[in-house]
Amino acid sequence: MAETPSSKPPFTMSASAAGPGSAVPVPVTPKTGSGPTPAVIETVGVTIDGKVHQFPKGTNLLEACNQVGANVPFFCYHAGLSSPAVCRQCLVDVKGQPKPVPSCYTPVADKMEVTTASPRVLDVRRQMLEFTLLNHPIDCPICDKAGECTLQKHYFDWDAKFARNDGIKVHKDKVVDLGKHIVLDQERCILCTRCIRVCDEVAKSHDLEMAYRGDHEVLTTAPGHRLDNPYSLNTVDVCPVGALTSKDFRFAMRAWELSSTPSVCTGCATGCNIEVHSARGRVYRLVPRINPAVNKHWMCDEGRFTYKPLHADRLAAPRVGNSPTDWDRALEAAGKKLRAALDTDASKVGVVFSAQTTNEDLYLLERLAFEHLRVGKAYLAGRDQGWHDDILVSADKNPNTAGAIAIGAGRLKNLMDLANDLRSGAVTALLVLGSDGVLVGESAAAAMPVDRLSALVVIGTHTDLMVEAAHVALPLAAWAETDGTFTNRLGMVQRIRAALPPAGDALPGWEIVTHLARRLGVTLDFSTPKSVFTEAKQKLAFMKDADWGRAMLPVQLRFAASRG
Amino acid sequence: MDQSIAPTSRRVVLGVSEPTDDALDAPDLPTEPMPLNMGPSHPAMHGTVRMVLDVEGEKITSADVQIGYLHRCFEKESESATWTQVFPYTDRLNYVSPMLNNVGYAIAVEKLLGIDKQIPERAQFIRVLVGEMSRVTDHLTCLGAGAMELGAFTVFLYMLKAREWFYELLEEVSGARLTHSYMRIGGVCDDLTEDFVPRLTDILKRTRVVLEDVSKLLDRNRIFRDRMDGIAIITREDAIAWGLTGPVGRSAGLAYDVRKDHPYLVYDRFDFDVPIGSVGDNFDRYACRVEEIKQSMRILEQAMEQLPGGPVVVKDPRITLPPKSETYNSIEAMIAHFKIIMDGIHVPPGEIYSFTEGGNGELGFYLVSDGTGRPWKCRVRPPCLPAVQIMMKLLPGLFLADVVPTFGMMNMIGGECDR
Repeated sequence: MAETPSSKPPFTMSASAAGPGSAVPVPVTPKTGSGPTPAVIETVGVTIDGKVHQFPKGTNLLEACNQVGANVPFFCYHAGLSSPAVCRQCLVDVKGQPKPVPSCYTPVADKMEVTTASPRVLDVRRQMLEFTLLNHPIDCPICDKAGECTLQKHYFDWDAKFARNDGIKVHKDKVVDLGKHIVLDQERCILCTRCIRVCDEVAKSHDLEMAYRGDHEVLTTAPGHRLDNPYSLNTVDVCPVGALTSKDFRFAMRAWELSSTPSVCTGCATGCNIEVHSARGRVYRLVPRINPAVNKHWMCDEGRFTYKPLHADRLAAPRVGNSPTDWDRALEAAGKKLRAALDTDASKVGVVFSAQTTNEDLYLLERLAFEHLRVGKAYLAGRDQGWHDDILVSADKNPNTAGAIAIGAGRLKNLMDLANDLRSGAVTALLVLGSDGVLVGESAAAAMPVDRLSALVVIGTHTDLMVEAAHVALPLAAWAETDGTFTNRLGMVQRIRAALPPAGDALPGWEIVTHLARRLGVTLDFSTPKSVFTEAKQKLAFMKDADWGRAMLPVQLRFAASRG
Repeated sequence: MDQSIAPTSRRVVLGVSEPTDDALDAPDLPTEPMPLNMGPSHPAMHGTVRMVLDVEGEKITSADVQIGYLHRCFEKESESATWTQVFPYTDRLNYVSPMLNNVGYAIAVEKLLGIDKQIPERAQFIRVLVGEMSRVTDHLTCLGAGAMELGAFTVFLYMLKAREWFYELLEEVSGARLTHSYMRIGGVCDDLTEDFVPRLTDILKRTRVVLEDVSKLLDRNRIFRDRMDGIAIITREDAIAWGLTGPVGRSAGLAYDVRKDHPYLVYDRFDFDVPIGSVGDNFDRYACRVEEIKQSMRILEQAMEQLPGGPVVVKDPRITLPPKSETYNSIEAMIAHFKIIMDGIHVPPGEIYSFTEGGNGELGFYLVSDGTGRPWKCRVRPPCLPAVQIMMKLLPGLFLADVVPTFGMMNMIGGECDR
C-alpha cells in the first residue's frame, strides 16, 4: 500500500478520540516526559456548524470537529495512526468545495467554513453505510465484536433504514489463521486498513495487505509473512468490526457481559495503562487504555496474557508447615517464629521486597522492618530480565522495580547476596513479601538453601516452591485484586484498581503487613490502601506528585455507550 | 363510672338477660381501650397491609395503616432495565388492570422521545380498547371482592365470571392472562385477533346482564346498604387536600377524570360521562364504580365502531423491533434488533411527568433520561396510595366492622401502592 501523506505523524493522539479501550477515561498525571512547549502556537479560525473555533495550525479537521462536539463518524481513521481516507464516513461539507471532503484527510485552514450534518452529508454517510453493509454477513449473534462494534453503532446512529437489496452476498473465507493469536473472518472485514497501519506504524512490520479489487477485495498476509509480530493483538482492538478476533477471547465471553476496571499492566517496567475486562470474578481480557505519556493506544501481546496466572495455582488459604489453616493461627505462628528470631539476633533477620508488589505494600513493609523491627538485611526479588525492544517492551519484567528501589533507600541487596548470606549463615530468618523469582526451577533449592532458616514466612500469591518451603505461608491478593500504585521505568506513579475479589482467603499486602505487625507488638494503624498511600506520599519523594484518583465502580461495557 | 361494677354489668349484658338495643348502646357500658392488629395477612382484606387499630369496645379511636409489604424496588429495578424491559414491571403495579399501566408508561416514554404525535391511529384505538377492558376488570374485582367481604358471595362469583371473559379475550390478544406486557414504545406488540370485535361485543352484552343481576342483589339489600351507607364519608375538600383521584375522588364530588380533563390517545372522540358522588360514603364509591363500568363499555362500543385499519406500531428501526423475517435475512434489521435489545432505545436526555387515568385514578410516571438506553429515574405516582393514606383519618370514630367495607372500597392494590 502506498505511503499516504498525513497531516500528523504517527503516535499522536487527542484526548477526545474514542478508540477501542477508551470506555474508562482516567486522568493520569505524567511526572516526566513533558518536553518544552513552543512559546507561540499558531492558530487558525474555523467555522464549524456556524460557530467559530480556534485550532492549532495543522490540526486534522476530523479531530477539530469532534473536539467541539460535532460528532463526525469514522471507520478507517484512528487517532494513533495515519489517515488513508478510505471509508468515506467522515465526509463533511466545506464551503467552496464542490463535493464533501474526507475530514480525516483535511488539515484545518483559516476561515474554513464546515458543515458536519448538512442534508447532503447525512445522505452521503447513509449511502456509504448502505454500501458497507451490502456484503456484510448477518453474524451479530455469533460475532465477538457484537455489542462493541463500530459498524453496529454507526448504522444505528446514521443509517437506521431497512435493506433495499435482497441479492446474494459475496462470500469470502470465514476462518483465516493469520498468526499465533489472530483469526480473520474476511466476510466481516470492511476494508478500513487500520490493522495494516497498526503493523506498519506501531510494530514496524509490514505483515498485512489488501488483495484483489472491488467487492472481492480481502485482507491477507503480506507475501512470506504471518501476523506474528509482538504487537499483533492491537489489530483486534483497532478492528471496527469482528473481522480480526483474538484466539484467546474468541467465543469466550460476550462483550456486553464484561465490566471494565482501569489498571496498569504488570508484564514489564513500562507500565502500559490497561483496562481489565472481567465478569463474575474472572478476567477475560486486558486491553490498552490511552495514555499519551506511556503507551499511547497500544500494548504488547505478552502483556495481554498476564491475566492468565490470576486464575491458576493460587495460594488460597494460609498455611502453617504446608497445612491449610485460618488467618488467626497462621499469623500467630508467623509472629512467634519471627519474634523468636528477632529476639535471638535481629541483625540476622532478613526481609525480601518484591518488585511485583505495590508501593503501598512495600512502604508498610519498610516501616515494619526498619523503623520497628530493625532487621539487619533486606533484599529485592523479582522476575528475571527478558527481551526488550524500543517500542514498549522493557527488559525488566517487574512493574514496580523503581518503586521498590526507592522505598528500599539503598538498603536492598540482590538475590545473589541473599544466596551467599544464606550459605554463610548471615541470615537465619526471612520474611518474604511476594515470592516471585526467589526460588525458581529445579536447582533453585540448592542455589538458595532456605531449609537452613529458623523462620521462613512467605506472603505470596501462588503455590510456588517458595511457598512450599515456608514455615508459614500467607495468601496475597494478586495485582488485579488489590488497590495501590506501581512506579514505572519513567518514575511515573500509576494507580491500579481491584477488578476482582481476592482469590480464596487472600488479603492485600498492606493489610497482611498490618496484621503481622500487630502479632509482633507493632501498631501500624491503617484501614485502607488510600490511607497508606496518603502517608507514603508525604514521606517518599518519588511519590509526591502521585494521585490516588477518584473512587469508581467498574463500568459495565453494555452501558458504556461510547464504545464501538 | 365506677370501675368496680364493670365486670358485673358486662356479665348482665352478655349472658343473663336478653340484651335490648338500649343495653347494647348503653353509654355507661364499661370498656377498656386495646390495640388491635389487623393484617398484614387478613382474610377479609385483599392486599397485604397491616393496620394497627386502637379500639374501645367496637369503636376505633385511632388507626395506623402500614404499607410496604409488597415493595419490590420497582423504581430502582427500572434503572437497570432498558426502556422496553420496564413493561413487565408495570404489569405488576396495578395487577388487576395491567394494560392501563402499560399504556401509561408507554405514553410517558413516547412523550420523552417526542413521537407521541406519530403513534398510528389504530394503535391508539387498540390502547383505548384494551385499557378500558382493563378498567372494567379492575372495577369488577374491586366490587366483587368488596361485596363478598360483606357476605355477598354470589356477587363475587358473578362478577369474577364476567371478569374472566375479559381476561380470556385479553389473553388471546396479548398471550398472557394477567401479565400482558402488550404495549411497546411506539404502539402495541401485535394486532388484535381477527374475531376481537364480535367477541368483545358479545362479552359486553353478557356483562350487562351480570351488572343487572348484581344490581338486583345489592342495591336494595338491607345488609349491604346498612354497612355501606354513610360510612367513611370523604368531603370534596378532603379529597383535594389528600390528593384523591379516580373513583374515590369522584365519589366525593371531585369531578376530575384525566380522560376528560387532559384527553390523551383518542379519548376526545368518545361520548361518555363521568359519574360524581353526592355523599362521599362507601356506597357512593360502590355506585361510582358500577357506573364507570357502564361508561367504559360505552367507550368500548364506540371504539369498536370507529376502529381504523393500518399499522399498530411506528415504523422506525431505532424504536421498533424489525419483523423476524427481516432480522434473520438482512444485516440492517439484525443490527437494529441487536441494538434495541442490548443497548435499548436511545431516549434523548430530559424529564417528563406523564399521567393517565388508571383503574384507581391518576397514574403518573415521572421519567428522567440521561440519553442512554435505560431510565435514569422512573418514579410512579400510585393512585391508590392517597386513598390508603386517608384511611387513618376516616377510620377513627367508626366501628371495627366498618374497616372491611371501607378498605374494600378504597381498592388498595399492593403492587401499585408499594411498588
